[in-house]
Amino acid sequence: MQKLVDFKLPHFFNYPPYFTLQPVRDTREKQIQLWKELILDYCKTQKIFVIGLEEEFPLFTNHVIERSLTHEARAAFLSALVSEGRAAWMDKGHRKCLILWHRIQDWADILIQFAKDNGLEDGVVTIEEIRSGTESQGTGNLLMLMSYLFVKL
Amino acid sequence: MRRRPGIGGLQTHAAARDQFRLLGENVAKIRTDLMKEQLATFRSQLEDFARKHKNDIRKNPAFRSQFHEMCAKVGVDPLASNKGFWAELLGIGDFYYELGVQIVDICLATRAHNGGLINLQELCHLLRQRRKSDRGVVSEDDCLRAISKLKVLGSGFEVISVGKKKLVRSVPTELNKDHNEILELAQAQGFVTVDEVERRLSWSSGRAVDALDTLLDEGLAMIDDGHRDGKRRYWFPCVSPISSLVGVDS
Repeated sequence: MQKLVDFKLPHFFNYPPYFTLQPVRDTREKQIQLWKELILDYCKTQKIFVIGLEEEFPLFTNHVIERSLTHEARAAFLSALVSEGRAAWMDKGHRKCLILWHRIQDWADILIQFAKDNGLEDGVVTIEEIRSGTESQGTGNLLMLMSYLFVKL
Repeated sequence: MRRRPGIGGLQTHAAARDQFRLLGENVAKIRTDLMKEQLATFRSQLEDFARKHKNDIRKNPAFRSQFHEMCAKVGVDPLASNKGFWAELLGIGDFYYELGVQIVDICLATRAHNGGLINLQELCHLLRQRRKSDRGVVSEDDCLRAISKLKVLGSGFEVISVGKKKLVRSVPTELNKDHNEILELAQAQGFVTVDEVERRLSWSSGRAVDALDTLLDEGLAMIDDGHRDGKRRYWFPCVSPISSLVGVDS
């Protein structure tokens, strides 16, 4: 399980009401905006691709102030990301969510760039090669993303 | 036997009145001259003082506040006009206008979070952060002065006292007495519950819920259902500023 190390959490993370979905529209929009930024930022720095709604996730619980997000709140924040194209549900039941901290278009560019840099254009490589190849260090866990993309396309 | 008024008596009377009037005018003239002279001396003294302590006035907030107090007592407002010797001498006007602009900026930037009501301390803190170059030279007194100058722009900026704290309001929300009492109550812990409001203020449940709902609608409050006791808490970002909460970095 990942820990909240080397990650500067925003101030709002320590303010209890941000863990309850707000009933007033303006306040809720602001709240969702802050959470969206936090989730994307966190996943990007920690190289996390998938968030399970029912699983433990460091951001969803703050032990210091004894608050955690309800299922409803988690779903609301992730749905907001999905509607912006910054995330995608991986199943119909909306239990697993793929976080696209690079947009799909950007991921495609990164792959093309990767192929160009390594002279792999017009060739065939397996996903495993991209994933585990030494040349792909730093491009993160692509397997999950690509298998998702291939199912989708 | 009473003498009847004669022409001579009337003339003497008129003459005496004229004399009195002349004398009175003289006295008044001497008095005004004296006053003018005193004022001129005073003005030059004040100018001398300001010139002499120019640096102190600029750099030391406590001194600046005392200087303002002194000016207020004698009926001089150094901020009344940006022209004239005060501005040239001290640049005080510009200083406060600059502060004013920065205050408006901060209020707008934090409005989404606090609903347009911000603690004066918090505002000062943010203001100092923004003015890094000369950190620490802005006092709460300066903030209040700058805000009072913002009033000429029409309604909108106002300082309200809730309990011991001062809050700066940047939205045209009218807070009634009930709201103020709730805010005052919330200062202790940063939040209140319906129960607490009913008990501490001896209100009916409807009155408490109604006031809290209004505060919620105005964006001044946020609900928190996450506590173990299951009671809904109403938090007020304006009295428990997020920026002062210590982040959990470890």
